[in-house]
Amino acid sequence: MANIRLENVTKRFGRVTALQSINLEIHHGEFFCVLGPPGAGKTTLLRLIVGLEKPDAGTIYIDGEPVNDVHPRNRDIAMIFQNLALYPDKTVFDNIAFPLRERKLPAEQIKARVAQVARMLHIEHLLERKPGKLSGGERQRVAIARALVRTPRAYLMDEPLANLDALLRLEMRIELKRLQEQLNETLVYVTSDQVEAMSMADRIAVLYKGVVQQCDTPDNVYNLPANRRVATIVGSPPMNFLTCQVQRTDGQLNLVHSGFGFRVIGSDHPLWDCLCRALPAVQEVLVGVRPEDIRLYPEQPTDVIAFPARVAVSEPLGAETIVDVQLGRDIIKVITPPTQYFAEKQPVWVAFDMAKVHVMDVQTGARIYTTGAPEQLQCILPGTCA
Amino acid sequence: MTQRPTWQIVLRYILVLIVVGWFTFPTYWMVTMAFKPKVEWSTAHGTIYWVPQNPTLDNFETVLTEYRGRFFRANQSSALPSIRSSIIVSIGGTLFALLIGTLAAYGLSRFSTDTGELPWYIALGRLGLLILVLLPFMVLWAWLGIIRYWYGILSFTLLGIAVNQLLDKFLALFYRGPTGSLAFSILQLRMFPPMAIVIPVMIMWSAFKLIDTWYGLIAVYGVVTFPFVVWLMKSFFDEIPRELDEAAIVDGASNWGAFFKVVLPLAKGGLASTALFVFILNWSDFLIALLLTTRDWPTIPVFLNSLVSSEIGAQHGPKAALGLLAVIPPVVFGILIQRYLVRGLTFGAIKR
Repeated sequence: MANIRLENVTKRFGRVTALQSINLEIHHGEFFCVLGPPGAGKTTLLRLIVGLEKPDAGTIYIDGEPVNDVHPRNRDIAMIFQNLALYPDKTVFDNIAFPLRERKLPAEQIKARVAQVARMLHIEHLLERKPGKLSGGERQRVAIARALVRTPRAYLMDEPLANLDALLRLEMRIELKRLQEQLNETLVYVTSDQVEAMSMADRIAVLYKGVVQQCDTPDNVYNLPANRRVATIVGSPPMNFLTCQVQRTDGQLNLVHSGFGFRVIGSDHPLWDCLCRALPAVQEVLVGVRPEDIRLYPEQPTDVIAFPARVAVSEPLGAETIVDVQLGRDIIKVITPPTQYFAEKQPVWVAFDMAKVHVMDVQTGARIYTTGAPEQLQCILPGTCA
Repeated sequence: MTQRPTWQIVLRYILVLIVVGWFTFPTYWMVTMAFKPKVEWSTAHGTIYWVPQNPTLDNFETVLTEYRGRFFRANQSSALPSIRSSIIVSIGGTLFALLIGTLAAYGLSRFSTDTGELPWYIALGRLGLLILVLLPFMVLWAWLGIIRYWYGILSFTLLGIAVNQLLDKFLALFYRGPTGSLAFSILQLRMFPPMAIVIPVMIMWSAFKLIDTWYGLIAVYGVVTFPFVVWLMKSFFDEIPRELDEAAIVDGASNWGAFFKVVLPLAKGGLASTALFVFILNWSDFLIALLLTTRDWPTIPVFLNSLVSSEIGAQHGPKAALGLLAVIPPVVFGILIQRYLVRGLTFGAIKR
């Protein structure tokens, strides 16, 4: 039962700034994911919340109460470390009972609580063993049990599934999600795996180089990425970025790339507003399209406008095939169904899903505009507008 | 695998036998000597006795009983008080060193902010300055005649600490670099021969009336072995993942609780081997005990040295007998903690 709020939290290690003015609010009962590449400051963020590190600036509130000077033991927050940190010389029972013993609960009550949690996580048969004798998944459950047993105000998990093998990770992912729904407690989950974040989280904070890039629902993070960084971190393979020239000629606004072009229709178009009125000096923009929003045709289609291109490499993955396509001077990645086969150097036709085209600032990478419907941008062949 | 020729195998075993013989012969000689009657101690009777011809327990009796001078033999005190003394001061010194050393090692392992080694010229220059500043005070203290008394020594020590701190502040004005490693400074305490400090310690101890007391010896042993405890225990603590203490703290333990309930149990193997090492150092010390004890608290090595009589010279038999008895405690201690000496207790703690 906790609401965690970070206000302008900054943390430095020597000359390195690990976290830069973090502002986050994690609501009660929320499954909150912190997503970011290694070294982004994700673990530091958790350690600040739990109290193992002190912020250099800013305040952390738990349930509205500033906790900067509260010792971690008194914050009543459970944390599952990346390496689990099970006590190797204690049995599973003693491991799980440790937090309760620290709270001086009577022995019977401890026994009952441990048994209850062990039943919930299906580890009753392991209670007498030492952590060294357990498999990866079993250790994971013991670590979760140790956090659950004391019903803390919030749970923090630091890449808990990173060290499990792929199959087990899938299984634990579902189990964690189910568990969180059952508990309905605040859970802050740190991961560098965007699939985990997308599949489990109520909200995602994308962290990069100590700065929160975007904090929103998985849906919005995926569909309306705040900037180029977010679009690269979320999505696999990452979004394609194509640098386009901005051409403003006689009442027309065109975005032109060496392989394709878009025409902005109507002077009441938001892009027109932005590129012609707010940023008249901008010469280039980035056009971002996700690999799954591009279609390849072996022949020129008649129903949509497609751009001529050439296949560079093809990577069949079984369920889908990732095709690298040379479009103009850039190479883009395209996800195609496995039924379609493309040979190297084969000429193809590329068509974008015009409802999912993003336009971003070249310098800052910030997203300027996203099409919501196909008719907002018109496809033109690059040769036809010069 | 090819079979080696027989002569090679034979040669190898012969070499092994020679080396093993070389190292174990002194022990063999001591053990047999302990059971030899007086005539077999030396070659005075024309033969070397490699094996006791008439084994006897007389030597043990001689060394353990008190003898008031009569015919042929001088006054001879019993070794029992020295055994008692050795046991008390060795265990006491070991416990003292372990107590402060283990805590210091944990602090150094977990909370140290060391920033690399001090460059040698800064270190030497600083030492020179310290001596230069303190020397006039030493002369002053001597002139005042207080340097021989406990208050003189205490005040001079405090002055030294103060000057040292001021010197650091002074240096910090124009030197910004690594400030040196505290752990290394602690090790430096052991980098000069013990003889160099024993005499000043003797003077200090006599001023503080600590000569020939069990607590005086324990204090010296604790301080002298402290650096070993710090370095050994620090390496054991460094091997225990920091996340374990942190997990304990998050789980509701205090900093002390995390140390005593989680970290120390994991380091008990290291603690046991450190304890054995330090105990052996204290148990076998001769120099410090020789200078700091007189009548009441000589330890076994000091007592061994006194087993000489004017009538018959060195008493080899009783010496060997007491030596054999002195071997027992470290050996028994070693066997008792053997299972803790086995490493790998932390295996499986952490996924790597």
